[in-house]
Amino acid sequence: MNRLTGFVLAVVVVLVLAIGVISAVVIVRGGGGGGEGQQAQPTKAATAEGGGETGGKSTGELRLPGSDPITLDPALAADAASATYIVEIFGGLVTIDPKLNIVPDIARELPTRENGGIVDNPDGTVTYTFHLRDDVVFHNTSRLVTASDFKYSMERALNPRTASTVAEAYLGDIVGARDMVRGRADEVRGIEVVDDSTLKLTVDAPKPYFLAKLTYPTGFVVDRQQVEANPRNWSRKPNGTGPYKMREWSLGEQITLEANDRYHLGKPSVKTVTFLLSGGSVLTMYQNNEIDVAGVGVNDIESVQDPTSDLSAEYVTGDDFSISYIGFNTQTEPFNDPKVRQAFAHAIDREKIAEVVLKDMLPVAQGVMMSGLPGHNPQSKALSFDPELAQQLLKESKYGGPDGLPTVTITEVGGGANVGFDTQAMVEMWKENLGVEVEIEQTEAATFFEDLDSGRLQMFVTGWIMDYPDPEDILDIHFYSQSRLNNTRYSNPELDALLEQARTEQDVNRRLSLYQQAEQIVIEEAVWVPLYNGRDHALVKPYVKDFEFPPMVIPHLRYVTIEQ
Amino acid sequence: MQGILPYILRRLLWVPLILIAVSFIAFTVARFGPGDPISVAMGQFRDPEVLARVRHEKGLDKPVLDQYRIYVWNVLHGDLGESYRYGGRPVSEIIFPKMWVSAQLGLVALIITFGVGIPAGILAALRQGSWMDPAAISLLLFFRSVPVLITVPVMLLVFVLKLHWFPAAGWEGIFDKHIVIPALALSLPGIAGVARLMRATTLDVLKEDYVRTARAKGLPEFTVVSRHVARNALLPLVTIIGISLVTLLEGAFFAEVLMGIPGIGREAFDSVKSRDYDVILGLALVLAAAFIVANIVIDIAYTFIDPRVRYQRSGVT
Repeated sequence: MNRLTGFVLAVVVVLVLAIGVISAVVIVRGGGGGGEGQQAQPTKAATAEGGGETGGKSTGELRLPGSDPITLDPALAADAASATYIVEIFGGLVTIDPKLNIVPDIARELPTRENGGIVDNPDGTVTYTFHLRDDVVFHNTSRLVTASDFKYSMERALNPRTASTVAEAYLGDIVGARDMVRGRADEVRGIEVVDDSTLKLTVDAPKPYFLAKLTYPTGFVVDRQQVEANPRNWSRKPNGTGPYKMREWSLGEQITLEANDRYHLGKPSVKTVTFLLSGGSVLTMYQNNEIDVAGVGVNDIESVQDPTSDLSAEYVTGDDFSISYIGFNTQTEPFNDPKVRQAFAHAIDREKIAEVVLKDMLPVAQGVMMSGLPGHNPQSKALSFDPELAQQLLKESKYGGPDGLPTVTITEVGGGANVGFDTQAMVEMWKENLGVEVEIEQTEAATFFEDLDSGRLQMFVTGWIMDYPDPEDILDIHFYSQSRLNNTRYSNPELDALLEQARTEQDVNRRLSLYQQAEQIVIEEAVWVPLYNGRDHALVKPYVKDFEFPPMVIPHLRYVTIEQ
Repeated sequence: MQGILPYILRRLLWVPLILIAVSFIAFTVARFGPGDPISVAMGQFRDPEVLARVRHEKGLDKPVLDQYRIYVWNVLHGDLGESYRYGGRPVSEIIFPKMWVSAQLGLVALIITFGVGIPAGILAALRQGSWMDPAAISLLLFFRSVPVLITVPVMLLVFVLKLHWFPAAGWEGIFDKHIVIPALALSLPGIAGVARLMRATTLDVLKEDYVRTARAKGLPEFTVVSRHVARNALLPLVTIIGISLVTLLEGAFFAEVLMGIPGIGREAFDSVKSRDYDVILGLALVLAAAFIVANIVIDIAYTFIDPRVRYQRSGVT
């Protein structure tokens, strides 16, 4: 045969051989288990092969996926990854339990008006008195925690030299805190050390959410001696007071936590918790028994939920306090007209998107407050899918219809190669139900947030995660006209009045009702279009018990047990 | 050897100039571009007033030229700055260990690439005309065309989930089995290029007079190939090997992400995303310096490999 034929034949033979070998190995070994988005489906004949791909046995230590924290300094922590470790290593006056109740941590009991722990002063301020336990010791030392340690820690957080981006948000209600953070004072007047075991915090107004804010890392106590001895690097192996202490942190590789035998609220059952930080295919690692818990993404959800799969028995979900939403810039055309906003809200079918695009992985949000959050209104309904009403509203708006609108662009965070499927669906729906062609813009995260904060975006998709379980952390922060985090630039005096009143309303039911009214305005005015609430999907090995997926970052590892 | 030392010194004079140019460009682009490391590290609670205050505390609101001056001063004192993403850790502590990991992985991949590519190329050249030549090259091109994003998951499926030969992720050093899959995935695409180049240069060398002479002298074919052909055919590859060694420092993003390897490729990507200014600059400087040094080393290597190459005042003879 001639050269060309020989060449072609050689190529064909080689390709067939290569593909054949790979497929043969895969097929002969049988199906079973999921993979990373590949086409092979589990066969009905799947049986457990030597060692099994699921189940397996425990190593006695808990191995979790994780990411490097930005910092382990509670004064600086602003992100969830850092908070995940900090809440286990450190402690504060109060903490949250897995049922989301605020409970005492280093304080003996919660201050209330009934027990005299909360006192309203004549000048409108409120003083909280905390009596500290006498058995709380810093890790790796024998030093007991005293009230001065708290004063030191909080003032350190508020010290401008510390450059904390969160101190003012969480401790700013304390009298004198704002002065300190702006460099106008050397100490915080509102933090008073009465004696070693008594601390008084004076807050500028009767704010019911103050104790909730203290559950966030910024109010946690740090070891003064350690910090002063090693200001740069102390947080790499910090002496906290939490249920776990840091044994080892290899950057980018792993963090190992070890149970604190002297933990004052009860020694944790799991002795060692290792977070694997370098990533890799978590699902593959789980099936290979390298990790005990794995998150499940939209590409794998179907094979995991499939009842014939071994993995389906280990699949768990947990709702969390997060929401994704469409926001409108209420100061620019065309969304400064509420009818336009409402039209857009009524033109999308969120239930359908959740079912088809998101495979029902996320619950549709019916309001701003999430299920489980104090104040959540189960009767709340977001604007319904009603294309006729949508078109009607658009006609009634100052633009007279879709043709009068300027170009509308929706912006979201993304890599540029691929638009979020749900956004694509929404854009389709606006075209079909409203006759508006919405442009899609994708920017990477840092640019997106800069554009958002400077008011350059018209319409955007983003989200919010609750930091503490109080509606103030979402309704006040985002919709009060003077709030610096009001990304829709919405200003409504009636809403402002409700929020101001709610800030200091002492009667719990009345307060929550005020927030519910505020939420109603936000929904009806279509300032946000609530989309979905967060839900975690994960696989947990059967020998790991009581591994909760709490709705926000709270200490939970000490409740976990491992069956041997 | 006469002209070599002045030559090296002249080349080295370029280093500070290039480093200043690279760092200045990277510095100004980072600071004038959108986004800001403090804002990124703040997460969702982005209060503009707090942001302004912290930026001021960190010196980020000074004029850019002032910031640059301070940066250069620090670098000259050995301080590459701090990372925002890693809570103030020194930049050197972040990039050097990760570069070392990437270098180890890359080295193993490189050894495989050249270790397979060079003999494959020579073989193809020697067997030119038979079916082995196009078959070898085609197989290698097949692997060239399949991206790492595909080869890694396929290998994970076959070798980890089905055969349980290797672990799914992680890094335990150069002599541990964690390295096998990523090294294979990274090495396969490059083999084709090396083989084809080797084949081409070998074919050229085979036509040379001295090869005919060696064969006429009655030397065994193996000696002809290894002593006369290979040594000369390798010469053009020195450049490629040299540059490849520098790319070891760049890491491999997809392999690192898919297989959980704490390498520099992923770090570079993450630091740009998070606007971790000092890490980005540190990387730019180290890579620029490495490239310049590598080029000089390659040029020197040539003088040893090819006696015809000499350097004089006016350049290469």
